[in-house]
Amino acid sequence: MIKFTLNGRIVETDAPPTARLLDLIRDEFELIGTKEGCGEGECGACSVFVNNLLQNSCLIPIGAIAGADIQTIEGIMETEQFKLLDESYSNAGGVQCGYCIPGMIMASAALLSNNPHPTEAEIRDGISGNLCRCTGYNMIVDAINLAAKKGDGLWQKK
Amino acid sequence: MAEKITAYRFDCLEQTLSQLNKEDCAIIAGGTDVMVLHKSRRGVPPKILKSVVFIDHLSELKQVNQNQKDLHIGACCTYSELLEHALIPVALKNAIKSIAAPAIRNRGTLGGNICNASPAGDTLPLLYVYNAKLRLRSVNGERIVAINDFIQGPRRVQRDPNEIVTEIILPSVLEEDAHVVFEKVGNRNADAIAKVGFAGYIRINDARIEDVRFAFGAVGPTMVRSLNIEKKLVGKTLPLADSDIAEIVADFDKIIRPIDDQRSTAVYRKIVALNLLRYFLSLKQYQTK
Repeated sequence: MIKFTLNGRIVETDAPPTARLLDLIRDEFELIGTKEGCGEGECGACSVFVNNLLQNSCLIPIGAIAGADIQTIEGIMETEQFKLLDESYSNAGGVQCGYCIPGMIMASAALLSNNPHPTEAEIRDGISGNLCRCTGYNMIVDAINLAAKKGDGLWQKK
Repeated sequence: MAEKITAYRFDCLEQTLSQLNKEDCAIIAGGTDVMVLHKSRRGVPPKILKSVVFIDHLSELKQVNQNQKDLHIGACCTYSELLEHALIPVALKNAIKSIAAPAIRNRGTLGGNICNASPAGDTLPLLYVYNAKLRLRSVNGERIVAINDFIQGPRRVQRDPNEIVTEIILPSVLEEDAHVVFEKVGNRNADAIAKVGFAGYIRINDARIEDVRFAFGAVGPTMVRSLNIEKKLVGKTLPLADSDIAEIVADFDKIIRPIDDQRSTAVYRKIVALNLLRYFLSLKQYQTK
């Protein structure tokens, strides 16, 4: 039995220790905001926070995260930071098909939490592990810029 | 999810080593390579045939410290942890920043990159020019082995089943005023597997070359390095004469033998590798640190 914290709730599973965190989140806990894109750590659609660090849930065997604090996109939806990102992505036109967006939001939140006023190069590095096939990224970069400008004081280093 | 999988996650290194002495296990550090290598269908756990032992949480494997002028890096330090550590040289940090992307850097480990022994392993050219050594531990004790002896071929390393790589040692790295360059050529800046990797290391005293080292990645089964070619440049004065540069490039032209694969072609790889070398040798001035 593997025990960990998922979006603030302590959960247990008897899934095999090599099962992917991604599958567990989606199939067993039915949190389907986290997406599977490539399944190889190259697209970032499955991004989650593990102990506040951005990671690809498709690469994490659940045995390795016993006792850890996991947050998915659903877990951050009530935060002020999420609301600001939501608004900024809408205003900048950063969302088209939307498949990459949960991962993009996680990467954006991770970036701004560490670096509340990133340069454009730092923004592009922050989302470099996340692929978007619609927007060409410029609107996403704009959205993060907007969230950084409007969110003064909101993005304290954790 | 009926299949029974045995996995261990011990509280300390001693217990882990003791289990490895009883049973040949698949060791998982960050898992960023293992999970892809054994990937199966969506919803189905990766097919790993042996028992699994997780090691990335072991504090014994996450230390970074200084011993004289040598740097000792715990094998399970993630790239992100190294980026934040005060003892890690700037050149190494700059190289790490060009590897993968934030999410992978938060999970992938230096020891994992070595033990995966991919011909395209990102950190390997750099570790070769740093003359890295590895400390391996088992219940029977420990030994130290040079990285070029440890890595024997694609996914082949000289590790006994009861051993763990505990530490990467970079000798004298904290005193040498060397200029270190790292280049990675891939289809995408982030997360791509390299088509060509290159690391160059040069130490100069008053325009004279005291020490120079080159390593090429993804152009052979293991990293390409040649002490004999490097020796030819020691004692020469910068800027190097065109004839000297041409000779070194011609020497490497003979020993770099890349292959065609899904990522690139042999022809492209060789041209790029030699161009990176030529560019490194043509620089007039080097900034140290």
